Amino acid sequence: MAIIQSFLDTLAQLAQESGFAGFFADGGWKNIIMILISFVFMYLAVAKGFEPLLLLPISFGMLLTNLPFAEMYHPEYWNYVEEFKEDAGTVNDHYIDYQRILEHGGLLDILYMGVKLQIYPPLIFLGIGAMTDFGPLIASPRSFLLGAAAQGGIFFTFVGAAILNMSAADCASIAIIGGADGPTSIYVSSKLLTTHSANSVGTIALAAYTYMALVPIIQPPIMRALTTKKERSVVMGQLRPVSRLEKLIFPVLVTLIIALMIPSAAPLVGMLMFGNLLKESGCCDRLVKTAQNELMNIITIFLGVTVGATTQADKVISLDFGKVMLLGVVAFSLGTACGILLGKLMYVISGGKINPLIGSAGVSAVPMAARISQKVGQEEVPTNYLLMHAMGPNVAGVIGSAVAAGVLLAIVK
Amino acid sequence: MSCLPSTLAMLLSSNIPPDKTDLDGGTIASVVITGISVVFIGLIILILLVTLYGKVFEVINAKADAKAKAKAEEEAKAKAAEAKKEEVKAAPAPAAPVVEDGIEEEVVAAIMGALSAMYAGSGKKPVLKGVKAVKPRRSAWSAAGVMDNTRPF
Repeated sequence: MAIIQSFLDTLAQLAQESGFAGFFADGGWKNIIMILISFVFMYLAVAKGFEPLLLLPISFGMLLTNLPFAEMYHPEYWNYVEEFKEDAGTVNDHYIDYQRILEHGGLLDILYMGVKLQIYPPLIFLGIGAMTDFGPLIASPRSFLLGAAAQGGIFFTFVGAAILNMSAADCASIAIIGGADGPTSIYVSSKLLTTHSANSVGTIALAAYTYMALVPIIQPPIMRALTTKKERSVVMGQLRPVSRLEKLIFPVLVTLIIALMIPSAAPLVGMLMFGNLLKESGCCDRLVKTAQNELMNIITIFLGVTVGATTQADKVISLDFGKVMLLGVVAFSLGTACGILLGKLMYVISGGKINPLIGSAGVSAVPMAARISQKVGQEEVPTNYLLMHAMGPNVAGVIGSAVAAGVLLAIVK
Repeated sequence: MSCLPSTLAMLLSSNIPPDKTDLDGGTIASVVITGISVVFIGLIILILLVTLYGKVFEVINAKADAKAKAKAEEEAKAKAAEAKKEEVKAAPAPAAPVVEDGIEEEVVAAIMGALSAMYAGSGKKPVLKGVKAVKPRRSAWSAAGVMDNTRPF
């Protein structure tokens, strides 16, 4: 009889400690909703192909973090320890107890350190740099203007977020979604958002990647609405060939100028240009291959899963997340519109030689935004190839969004 | 105009605490103006520098192209002169034909003789470059069938 009693007690204890019991605990229903949302994102990634390389790890991280008692990620460990006195006696409200995380943290806590310490986004930029050809931008430097204009969406959305009475950190983190650059959004939000912020890195990343995946849906109507048939039909001339030496000088020049001008943009721009220099040098094939493939893939997995892990029920099932999604689409649309409008101005100034459609590629979703310019252009003239012309503003947008991130980090701190 | 960099530097150095809410109009406007201005200024500087070194490289490349073109023309002229000289000289003896193993010398001689006879009087000098046996394209059975069908003709 005692054996049966012991057996039943053990079963009862196991049931109490199981994750299933956690669903019935206080607020456990939110975990169920989050797990269902993770299934939706998995479906979008696998069946619909929406940014699957990031959305799938993010959605799985979301699933893992919402499993009760799995202890893979502890949000409470990432609360800033306030009133911590530094050597100089000043209060630092950005202190995180990393010792505690290393000793007691779960797998995702440890991996999340790479996000919180701003390690992953610059490494992703290294890989992007190693994959990017800046030739079209060097051949047509005016493309920089379109890359700069498209960043207008970031700053105008800052206004919208501020009107909604959000904190400065929230405003900057939401606004940067307009740059259409996932790593930059994660970089800015992981630096700025605190325990008191309404949003988390995960929700910002989720919104950024959702809108990046929706570029083919969001951009074309704006592009058609803001341009005339005549403007869309402009066939642009061929770009001049760019020598290897020019391509070698470019990353060094950009690093020097941008990092000296806005030091807070140095980690992103510096790593982007370092990756590009490796590629153009032609003497570091092994490093280039590593940066383009193995390193990029490893960081993508770590970044995706850990960012997904920060999307917890109380942050996602909230009005604030609704605001993020709303302002995110506003930011994205304004960025596209700003690029197109400057493209129209350049069309007039150049005497009709520039197709304004390439302006929308100034948002930095590489190469998707450039492909959209090509696609919308070909709807008017099937033999029109705008892709290489759009790649200039597109890669300029990557630099522009890193600069904009640097500016926001310099102002909000 | 000269005070623009100092104004931007001042705006960049004026910090907004991350947790601050109720941002006033002046603060918001300064963020927007500073942000857009700094992004444009940074990228315009890059446009100027990239355009400048692009022009320098265009000039350098144009010079290098002109040099290469001149060199190629000179080489072409030299080759043409050499070719003229060679025309004056007697044509070199034709190389011995490549003969496949198993073909007798008499057969080669007969082919050369037939060719010479064919071109005799035309002023052309035929050169036999090689002789090789053609493998039968049909099998023995197929050849027998063809023979059978075409014999009446």
